[in-house]
Amino acid sequence: MADYKDIWVFVEIKKADIRGVTFELIGKAKELAKNTNEKVSVIILGKDVSSFCEELSYHDLDKIYLCENEILEDYLTETYSLTLVELINKYLPNIILFPATKIGRDLAPRVAATLETGLTADCIDLKVIDGNLVQTRFVYGGNYLVDIICPTKRPQITSVRPNVMEKSESTEKNQPEIIEFPVKIDPNKLKTKIIDKIETTVTEVKPIDEADIIVSGGRGIGSKENFKIIEELAEVLNAAVGASRASVDAGWVSKSCQVGQSGTVVNPNIYIACGISGTTQHLVGMKSSKKIIAINKDPNAPIFEVCDYGIVGDFKVIVPILKEALKKKLSQN
Amino acid sequence: MIEFTEEQELIRESVKEFAQKKIAPIALDMEKHKEIPADIIKGMAELGILACTADPAYGGSGLNAVTAGVVAEELAKGDCTGSTCVFYLVQAAWGYLLNKYGTEEAKKEIFPKATSGDWFLGIATTESGGGTDVVGGKTTIKKDGDSFIVNGEKMYISGVREAVTNGGGHITIAHQSPELGSRGMTVFYLPLTAEGITPTYIDDLGREGISCGGFAIDNVKIPKHYILGEENKGFYIIHEGYEYARALIAVICAAAGLKSLENGMNYVKERKVFGKPLAKFQEINFRLAEHYTKLEMLKRLGYEALRAIDLEQEGKGNRFETSKIVAMSKMFASDWACEAINDVIQWQGAFGYSRECPDQAAWRAVRSFSLAEGTREVMKMIVARELLGKELTSYK
Amino acid sequence: MRYIVCVKQVPESNDLKFDSDENKVLKIGVSTIINPFDQFALEQAIKIKNEGDEIIAISIGDAETKSTLMRCLALGADKGILLDDEDFKDSDTFATSNILATAITKIGNYSIIFCGNSSIDTGSSQVGPELAAILKIPQVTYVESVENVENGKVKVKAQTDEGYRIIESELPLVIAGIPPSSFQPSIPPLPKILAARKKPFDIWKTEDIEGDPSKFGSNGSVIKIIKLYKPPKREQGIVFTDEPNIAVEKLMELLSKDKVI
Repeated sequence: MADYKDIWVFVEIKKADIRGVTFELIGKAKELAKNTNEKVSVIILGKDVSSFCEELSYHDLDKIYLCENEILEDYLTETYSLTLVELINKYLPNIILFPATKIGRDLAPRVAATLETGLTADCIDLKVIDGNLVQTRFVYGGNYLVDIICPTKRPQITSVRPNVMEKSESTEKNQPEIIEFPVKIDPNKLKTKIIDKIETTVTEVKPIDEADIIVSGGRGIGSKENFKIIEELAEVLNAAVGASRASVDAGWVSKSCQVGQSGTVVNPNIYIACGISGTTQHLVGMKSSKKIIAINKDPNAPIFEVCDYGIVGDFKVIVPILKEALKKKLSQN
Repeated sequence: MIEFTEEQELIRESVKEFAQKKIAPIALDMEKHKEIPADIIKGMAELGILACTADPAYGGSGLNAVTAGVVAEELAKGDCTGSTCVFYLVQAAWGYLLNKYGTEEAKKEIFPKATSGDWFLGIATTESGGGTDVVGGKTTIKKDGDSFIVNGEKMYISGVREAVTNGGGHITIAHQSPELGSRGMTVFYLPLTAEGITPTYIDDLGREGISCGGFAIDNVKIPKHYILGEENKGFYIIHEGYEYARALIAVICAAAGLKSLENGMNYVKERKVFGKPLAKFQEINFRLAEHYTKLEMLKRLGYEALRAIDLEQEGKGNRFETSKIVAMSKMFASDWACEAINDVIQWQGAFGYSRECPDQAAWRAVRSFSLAEGTREVMKMIVARELLGKELTSYK
Repeated sequence: MRYIVCVKQVPESNDLKFDSDENKVLKIGVSTIINPFDQFALEQAIKIKNEGDEIIAISIGDAETKSTLMRCLALGADKGILLDDEDFKDSDTFATSNILATAITKIGNYSIIFCGNSSIDTGSSQVGPELAAILKIPQVTYVESVENVENGKVKVKAQTDEGYRIIESELPLVIAGIPPSSFQPSIPPLPKILAARKKPFDIWKTEDIEGDPSKFGSNGSVIKIIKLYKPPKREQGIVFTDEPNIAVEKLMELLSKDKVI
């Protein structure tokens, strides 16, 4: 176990950009590294990814492990896990942080099980105590937290929920050591391949999983037309638009907006729930938002029991007034 | 409480899912439209609960009485109007009689249609002149070569419109040899689409998703394969259908009452009066305790009655004991459930009195059960007779 | 083709009591259901099943778990296997995956292993990929539909952050399914529940799967729960019932004061 050293962060690329959550992981990794007197490095896999080294060199990193190959252009479990396992077996990191995104949740357990080591998924807090990484996550629909350690195996692998950790601030540029790791995968030996890619989310729409502010509409919105009221408030706040399952099923918004047990679990700073009653399945998806504001006609709606602030009333009347008030306040700031 | 088998628990789970997800959300709408939606009937058919007591050979599920009770219980919890409960129970009880005493030909003709939800199958013994006194009925049946001719009328019958519109009919009884009184009655299946049937419709107080009505029977010809059991021996078999229905009704009343109590409980825990939840007032929580106890007693007795029916079928029971326990289970079923639901309405104040409240629908449905399939007075007569003997309790 | 479906029985509600000494939630007397994602996985298998194909539903549990497997049989699985042994208790996802891998290897000759993408109780989405890693076979997660099985390969439609992608994979593989919002779980009809009792149902112990107990249970677990606890309670929120303009004004005041905006 003593041979394993340093903290690695898996860099996820999304549409030619480093995904925001990566910097949250780097931020947390640096915090942990201070306590354990270790260094923080990152791993990037992809096709033409060396260009990202520039941006990453403003975060006081020790090394950048660069796995560049055409075969890694699109994420595929096979190619990424093969590459990572080889890399990890060569360099023996102590801790590896993955984002708990679709890719992260597909890749991390594959890598962990291949290495016969422990993974704790979707963590909301990390600490180091007595040489062990203590990983905290929600269980039972958010009703409980568990603290987990991986006492006898290394590396300790964890996937981290987006939008929870503090982002790493850019600092002075340093010169991280770039280690180019050769990727020798024979494409003819692959058992899986991507046949087609379909984009359904309109690119201007802000994705909910990493949004700081979400304005969400539920069954109470009543129609696709009325959802514009929600969208207008979101626009003023530069927020993402979310929805409960009822709105998605009714066809008022696309599934990518769905917050909840069978949609996306979100963790924004502010979650504004309009016309959402607050069923358990929905609450599971947004309970850990830092501040929850609820607007609902029904004073007995369960959402009022979990909100920080609420207004009982018709969203059609209240939201436009709120929008104007916020617009005014934000222009003052 | 009787123990349920693994299978009965799985069946309970399925009916519960169906009742909660498909029926409960539209229950009150059924009364607004005065019908059970076609997709619900189709769903019930696909679930395998229509005429569920018929043999699988004819498309039924071959359920025994206790299992039929489990289905009834879950339907009652999901359907506050009781409409699907009545639809279900008459098919289960009278399908049982048809399965046991009907001819092969009749079963092959009727059951596939009933189990698929195409045809309605019900019971029609009540006449405008009387229901309790079955032998006092005026409808007659006469042999005519290879057929029979029926004349008379029936009134306050569930499912007349369903049978007339979609097909199907009712199990009924008539005098074949009037001079022999009870020893000259015949039980048979009467198709409501037959020529000579003239239906009429009545609005009744509850379970408005299933119709109530009557029909005149004017020289209606039926084939001999529609006769159940032996000619002139109908009076001796018809009680089996009534008993099956009565035991199911006991379970339905208990389930509907307990469901209402649950609604009431949730309400009194939240609703505050003078700064404290209604539930804290003894007038409320003592009543809750009493109703809950009585309805749980009723539920157990209902299942005991269903089990007695099953034991008798297996040759292990006693005719008189079964008759007695069935009558015991139904005797107070409607009254106790009505009393409980009446209080649940009271607890909810003005909302309880509005048509939006599910409990008012449940009250109206359950109120019918002290009348349907044998009045509470008949239940008392049966138990008194079993205790004291026929001589002391003869109604003549 | 032989399809294996891994199912888990979970508590119907996540409102559970817990034992702070044992760091466990209490499940006695709690009503249970099939993990909805696993029922979806089973229905995916049923959808592509052809004449002559076999679907085996498998679960780790105890006597109570049988009802979930019987439900699978009633829905259309051909055989049920319950893995019930003291050795299996207190397994983390890695040990769980090892138990399943051992049992599935014993069953042998499988084309696709279906499982739910995650479970509604613990929800870590780990077993599918870990099982695939141990068996050294491909995996596809977030699968919404299985398109077709042809010539030793299968095409699946998987969710991505941008929408979907179609992946083609060789057999055998693990498919972790996530239902689309249009999915309505089937309700097992009564005749099928009654017919289920005639279908084969086995209970397997460690020796039946020729397993190595050191890989199962707490011995085989690589992670350890050191504490289970309730999250700090959110303080009671402030709800305004005034008329809209006043309510919004009061809300804005508070949001400013609390530095939310």
